[in-house]
Amino acid sequence: MLQLKNIYKWVNTGSNRTFLLKDINLLIKQGEFLSVMGPSGSGKSTLLNVLGMLDDANEGEYIFMDQDVLKLKEKQRSEIYKTHIGFVFQAYHLIDELTVYENIETPLIYQNIKSAERKAMVADILDRFQIVGKKDLFPTNLSGGQQQLVGIARALIVKPKLILADEPTGNLNSKQGEEIMNIFKELNSEGVTIVQVTHSEKNAAYGSRIIHLLDGRIEKES
Amino acid sequence: MIKNYLKIAFRNLIRHKAFSVINVTGLAIGIASCLLLFTVVKYELSYDKFQPNYNQIYHVITQDKTSDGLSYTPGVPFPTLEALRLDFPQITSGALLANYGSQVTVLGKNASNATPDKKFIEETGFFFCDPQFFKVFSYEWMAGTPSVLSEPNVTVLTQKIADKYFGNWKYAIGQYLKLDNAVTVKVSGILKDIPANTDFPLAVVTSYETAKANNNVYFYSEFWGAITSNFQVFMLLPKNISADKINTQLLAFSEKHFGDRKRGERINFLQPLSNIHFDQRFENFGDHVTAKSTLWTLSLIAIFIIIMACINFINLSTAQAVGRSKEIGIRKVLGGYRWQLFFQVIGETAIIVFTSVLFALAIAMLGLPFIKHIASIQEPLGFFNLQTVVFVFLLMVFVTILAGLYPALVLSGFKPALALKNKITSATVGGISLRRGLVITQFAISQILIIGTIVAIAQMNYVRNADLGFNKEAVLIINANADSVVHSRQLSYKQMLLQMPGVKSVSFSSDVPSSNSNSATNFGFDHKPDPDFALYTKYADEDYFKTFGLQMLAGRPFDKSDTIHEVVVNETLMKKLGIKNPGEMVGKEIMIKSNSNVWTKITGVVKDFKTNSLKEDVKPLAISEMREYYGVTSVKLISSNIKKTKTDVEAAWNKSYPEYAFTSSYMDDNIADFYKQDEQLSLLYKIFAGIAIFISCLGLYGLVSFMAVQRTKEIGIRKVLGASIQNIIYLFSKEFTILILAGSLVAVPVAWYIMSNWLQNFVFGIKMNWVVFAIAIVFSIVVAWLAVGYKSIKAAMANPVKSLRSE
Repeated sequence: MLQLKNIYKWVNTGSNRTFLLKDINLLIKQGEFLSVMGPSGSGKSTLLNVLGMLDDANEGEYIFMDQDVLKLKEKQRSEIYKTHIGFVFQAYHLIDELTVYENIETPLIYQNIKSAERKAMVADILDRFQIVGKKDLFPTNLSGGQQQLVGIARALIVKPKLILADEPTGNLNSKQGEEIMNIFKELNSEGVTIVQVTHSEKNAAYGSRIIHLLDGRIEKES
Repeated sequence: MIKNYLKIAFRNLIRHKAFSVINVTGLAIGIASCLLLFTVVKYELSYDKFQPNYNQIYHVITQDKTSDGLSYTPGVPFPTLEALRLDFPQITSGALLANYGSQVTVLGKNASNATPDKKFIEETGFFFCDPQFFKVFSYEWMAGTPSVLSEPNVTVLTQKIADKYFGNWKYAIGQYLKLDNAVTVKVSGILKDIPANTDFPLAVVTSYETAKANNNVYFYSEFWGAITSNFQVFMLLPKNISADKINTQLLAFSEKHFGDRKRGERINFLQPLSNIHFDQRFENFGDHVTAKSTLWTLSLIAIFIIIMACINFINLSTAQAVGRSKEIGIRKVLGGYRWQLFFQVIGETAIIVFTSVLFALAIAMLGLPFIKHIASIQEPLGFFNLQTVVFVFLLMVFVTILAGLYPALVLSGFKPALALKNKITSATVGGISLRRGLVITQFAISQILIIGTIVAIAQMNYVRNADLGFNKEAVLIINANADSVVHSRQLSYKQMLLQMPGVKSVSFSSDVPSSNSNSATNFGFDHKPDPDFALYTKYADEDYFKTFGLQMLAGRPFDKSDTIHEVVVNETLMKKLGIKNPGEMVGKEIMIKSNSNVWTKITGVVKDFKTNSLKEDVKPLAISEMREYYGVTSVKLISSNIKKTKTDVEAAWNKSYPEYAFTSSYMDDNIADFYKQDEQLSLLYKIFAGIAIFISCLGLYGLVSFMAVQRTKEIGIRKVLGASIQNIIYLFSKEFTILILAGSLVAVPVAWYIMSNWLQNFVFGIKMNWVVFAIAIVFSIVVAWLAVGYKSIKAAMANPVKSLRSE
């Protein structure tokens, strides 16, 4: 599905060059569930941002579904992630000014999907996550677990091929976390490719493959 | 998508109530000010535009070249009209002769009615003209035609005046009026009411032949040497003839008719109608001339105010941008393009602007009567006309773009990866120096307005209290006609007045010492060739000097007489004639040519007094006696019990002159009237400077409250480290004080330039000094401190434990 070849990313601080990612080579196949682990500052989030095309690599090659992402224009790139990638964040990142329903609907609006169709799709997903009753509430009225549920629902609404999750359970208690991980597992079994960044060994174990990062390198793979 | 944007925009407005209120208040006041100023400027620009031949009508101006430059008169000698018609047969020429303060007595159907009960004084709007005038200017006739005005003793009234005289204009035709107790005329035509935006406020229009036949009352004269600004000629040029061409031909015309003067000394030229309301070199028949520069100033103030309101918006939105970075980041991650987010922010701005426009309309409606009063606009004005609607729409677009563009660019430009990690701070938004720049601009603008206001107020105070060279206090001025009936009873009336305990002295004259109406003539001095400048004349009796407290430099006032017998001249005339010692003037002889070609002895030199408003130089003047010109009665009152004395004076008048209406005014009020327009302007400046200051403080308040939130943590840490409340307040005020001082660096030179130009309008003006600028700077600093004070004290008093714990 996607492949990273010799990816480097750095920042210049004064005359020093600090590497965030160093020579990353990674192949992710369709239907995989990859967990990325590593200590703080090891480059996990940077890697996820590069995968999600929110950030550019300075050097290397990134092939996403047979397209060389780094050579694409900004507009084509956002066309790709708009239709193929869903994001889930540690801090949920719901829009506070919008209701649950509207938050989930927003990506569809950006895809120019007609209003009637949007209604149906949002209703489906609310149903699936059993949050129909919460649809008119604002994010601040929800618990963390519920907010993350909305976040995942919003990521899934566009039927992405790839879900990128940055410590999705980091702000949740263990019970809520477990629920979220089960949802991921279920999604994965439906064929959605998932890449998650996590600190927790337990959550990492949900993945079919785990890579460990240290100082921007892939230290080991298991 | 639009629905989604609208929704979030409204929720944002409600969520950030304080900011919304500040933004909407600032913009609404700014837009309302713009709208009001637009209405005033539009009204001033509309003067006489209703004339169908607006662009083809020209006014004949007389220009005199004298040793000290050019001087202009809007009038021409009476014979000019006929001469122009002879020399320019292809052009239609019409003329208006105005008479101010005429009395109209309503006789009714009986021309020889001996006991009329209705008399009116028409201060303005009383004119004479012949039918050709109505070929140049077009008016709608309700009854009659212009041709009725070819006969003597015929008058045309406007509807409103006819209603006033006869109850209903429909009954007016065929009834009789007596003008100035001298001429009986028949009403033969009715004009539809003239719009208020005209410099030709026709009300009572009598045939020109009537004025000619009564030259003892209306001073008609065939003499080419005398000019009155009350007689003005207008030409209607055919489309294929340019004003330049006529101007060239007028040079030859002037030379032919003013041949006794040196070549080019007195010439005529054309002033377009479109210029009559705006050129301050020439007076018009209306009540004011508005310089284009004044309209520019007002427009500039409007632009300033709207820019300041936009600056508030930009400042607050970019400051708020940090808080919205997360939302923008998420939207980008969810697939929003930059342009979509750009338009979302612009759309939100548009909603705020639209809301503000609604409030602005309400504010403008409330403010309109007030502004109309200040700008002395009588016409009903409204906002529901095409021009205003288009203006409001364009203003809305302009403000939306001006206010929304920058915040939209900043917000939509956020990198999602940074935005989501909360790495966007006010430092990374980058707007700090921009925001500082904008605050400096705001303060520069408001300080310019403050300085302008202070200078205008100081100048008006100076004018009000200036030494005019005569005593204007407690002098009651009664205007009447200078006709033989009035003159025959003047002496007995004077005796009645002098017997009253409250009256100090009484004088009859053609004119008061300071006035706007001037008559000038050529003259001879000391049996030498005529000097090359015009002599201004006033005629008065021997008590004039006592009544107005005029001081003699040399010699004495003239003796009592009924005609020119002796003359008193002023200091300026003496200096212009090159004589230094006033004593030398006494005993020399002068010949006032408009009057008689007789040499008359100068008995004294009077110390200069202001012969006009302070906008003009003191004119070279001769004062002499000529009973037949005396229309003004000046009564010097003893300052106690003035009201009672005034009633007595009026009663005595009605006894002496039962057929003449009594109109009186105090000299100091008349003088204040000279500066009415300047007073109005300085009031406008005051109001809008106040608004500008208010808007900039509003913005400042918003910015400080935002800063207080942003810096909660910093303040907490500082307090834990031992900072006192004063230290924290100092921290806040320091930055703004520096910004204001930076603003004054810009404001001071600009304001100095603008206001010294304005002061040049006055020959006698104040000097600007550093105190004015110091006051403006200190004032804005104090006001800014007050605006930020509350917020900074609150921030400084906050318990650090709380602010730090919440992190």
